[in-house]
Amino acid sequence: MAFRRKPLRFWVGRFLRNLLAWVAIAFALFPAAFVLGTSFDPVQNLRTARIIPQTPTLENYLYLFRERQEINFPRWLLNTVYVAGVTATFGVFLCALGAYAFSRFRFRGRRAGLLTILLVQMFPQTVGMVAIYLILQTLGKQIPWLGLNTHPGLILVYLGGAIGFNTWFMKGYFDTIPRSLEESAMVDGASPFQAFLRIVLPVARPILAVVFVIQFITVYSEYLLASLILKGMDKYTLAVGLQLFIGEAYNRRWGSFAAAAVIGAALILLIFYALQSQIISGLTGGAVKE
Amino acid sequence: MFRRLGTVPTTLLKVVGLSILDAVVVYFLVLLAWDRSWFLVGIIAAGLFGLNVLAFVRRLYPVRYLAPGLVFLILMVVLPLVYTVYISFTNYATGNILSKDQVVAILTSRFYLPPDAPTFTFRPYGRETIYALYLTGPAGEFVVFPDGRLALAAEHDLRDTDGDGVADLLDGYPLLPARELARFASDLQKLEIPFGDGVLRLTTLSTMRVYSRQYHYDPVQDVLVDVRTGKEYRPYGGNFVAADGEKLDPGWVTFVGFANYLKFLRDPLYHRAFVRVFGWTVTWAVLTVVLSFALGLGLAILLNDKTLRLRKLYRSLLIVPYAIPAFISILIWRGFFNTEVGLFNRVLSQFFGVRVPWLSTPFWARFSCILTNVWLTYPYMMLVSLGALQSIPEEMYEAAKVDGATGWRRFVHITFPLLLISVAPLLIGSFAFTFNNFTLIWLLTRGEPVVEIGSRAGATDILLSYAYKLAFMGGRGSEYNMTAALAVIIFIIVALISGISFSRTKALEEVSRGL
Repeated sequence: MAFRRKPLRFWVGRFLRNLLAWVAIAFALFPAAFVLGTSFDPVQNLRTARIIPQTPTLENYLYLFRERQEINFPRWLLNTVYVAGVTATFGVFLCALGAYAFSRFRFRGRRAGLLTILLVQMFPQTVGMVAIYLILQTLGKQIPWLGLNTHPGLILVYLGGAIGFNTWFMKGYFDTIPRSLEESAMVDGASPFQAFLRIVLPVARPILAVVFVIQFITVYSEYLLASLILKGMDKYTLAVGLQLFIGEAYNRRWGSFAAAAVIGAALILLIFYALQSQIISGLTGGAVKE
Repeated sequence: MFRRLGTVPTTLLKVVGLSILDAVVVYFLVLLAWDRSWFLVGIIAAGLFGLNVLAFVRRLYPVRYLAPGLVFLILMVVLPLVYTVYISFTNYATGNILSKDQVVAILTSRFYLPPDAPTFTFRPYGRETIYALYLTGPAGEFVVFPDGRLALAAEHDLRDTDGDGVADLLDGYPLLPARELARFASDLQKLEIPFGDGVLRLTTLSTMRVYSRQYHYDPVQDVLVDVRTGKEYRPYGGNFVAADGEKLDPGWVTFVGFANYLKFLRDPLYHRAFVRVFGWTVTWAVLTVVLSFALGLGLAILLNDKTLRLRKLYRSLLIVPYAIPAFISILIWRGFFNTEVGLFNRVLSQFFGVRVPWLSTPFWARFSCILTNVWLTYPYMMLVSLGALQSIPEEMYEAAKVDGATGWRRFVHITFPLLLISVAPLLIGSFAFTFNNFTLIWLLTRGEPVVEIGSRAGATDILLSYAYKLAFMGGRGSEYNMTAALAVIIFIIVALISGISFSRTKALEEVSRGL
């Protein structure tokens, strides 16, 4: 087809659309850009920190891995990754077990069980904070490593919150895996549990990864319960520690905070963009079809 | 399907393994029972019983897969739910956290010194440390040991070797000089030796007196009597209260019916706080959802334009706010809003010479909350809308074009209604999430600024952050009962929202089909 001149309106429209998109992108990115820029500025006062530093240094980053008193960044990061990692690992396995039972077995109370889980899951766990606090307090009197101000205690709380929705989510996926795979294994003498471990789990790897990552990110960012349960510099997660570190100190700790924010966000950004499409379909409840 | 289960070796293995586990747990249970922690004993015993049942009842085979997850769900979601409802009907708060027995025990072990209390003078015996005190007084002669034991002086060996009328050896230990005594004064002051109905306590460095119990408790009449004054205290609403209204602390946990809920209706301070907080919570959730949906939908329509070359890149960049952990973004925005050093005021004062009190007046603090949350939420709305837009069949538009509908009319009459059907449940979900978005409020404003002196609820407090403040923000102690009542109110609201969501959409039908 021969090149035909597009009307002026077309070009103006195209220009405006792109312009609009870039304005929106500027709105989306300016906080991250500002933080990234100022993290290389040794100036600690937000008022004078520059997005393009006059003397860029790595001082803020080095400080994070040197300082132990005012901020214990490496410890907090490790705590966060530990709590999130353990929660996600156990959570995935527990959800997979439950989802498998709901997907494959027909038993009395199955329907009611599924609906109950859905119903219970509607109530945000954080609303029961007083009860959770008191339960952990009671638990800690008998089993000190599972009480308040312990990571296992916090993991226990998170695991409770992680079960419901993800069991549903996984069940939906398991339903799409043909049963013939397991049936042939069971003909060969495998028990249902062996079929689950050796056949279903490997096939369901994509969904396991998605649920793992979603739980990891959720726990990584959780603030309320962590701040309630963890007391003490060496126990904090990143969310609790960073909040206490920056407090009102935007005029004297901005540089180090910015560096901490960059590292803390980078980890999640990496995971997010690596598994973008799967995570998004998980988080938006499958509303987005890629 | 299950026939191959329970072959001989696996069954044997199961029995042996389970027996060992049972033995260990039962041993642990005995230890716990010894400590009288019946709560834990009950939970663990029930768990062990359940495990044994599960292991051997074939019909419960599927439950073996569900049980591990259910344990956590029950312990950390269902139990807190039930416990919260329970607390909301009690007076559980600072000053009322013990059981009645404990309160009676505490009150009846308070002592006072009656004017006619018997006085003993004592002398210490020992080498380097105190071996015992030798007490003499009108009520007799005794020997008291530092560990609190009391014995009759006649049972011990007292000797006066130099014949000066003062015994200088007690069971072979010499008399300690009075100046030595000062070293042990603090230990001696802690001594409380049961004596008759009262206790012996140190009054000076050479005398001890018998203190009497201040309160006498009559379990039959359920009345506490102040021995000094004869005043009677009867249980009322979790405390011992006298006829003139005098209340004894501490109190105990007791049921109070709907009192906590009614407090939100009748107590002016709580009522005003509740109304204010509830109003803002709804406003905040509605505005966030509407504004972020509008922005997200607008961008989705923009990105849905196939002629836009860089749409993939645009999309990836536009969802950055969604990918950064929210707590980090919020703390950054809090910095930007800072009146003195914040980025926004830096720019505004430089170009327009104005400063905005972003976080310190109610209006601007609310504005800041919504702005931040729209920034955080629009990518989600955009993604959701994008998905919904792409699922609208092309033929719809073709038909509209044939009918001569313009772009705007097409949007209003076709795109938007269709979109809303598929997006509505997610919008309601987002509303419920925002309704309880504690993290944003807490990290951005802590619910401040204060709007009413004496009230814990600030201008930007949502129900959940107000509940948090009632329980965990020192000052006037922890009002766990009020927090629990507020939590139950939130439960009910969430249930209503979910109920509407289900009845208005076909979600439940789909769910039922999926079962």
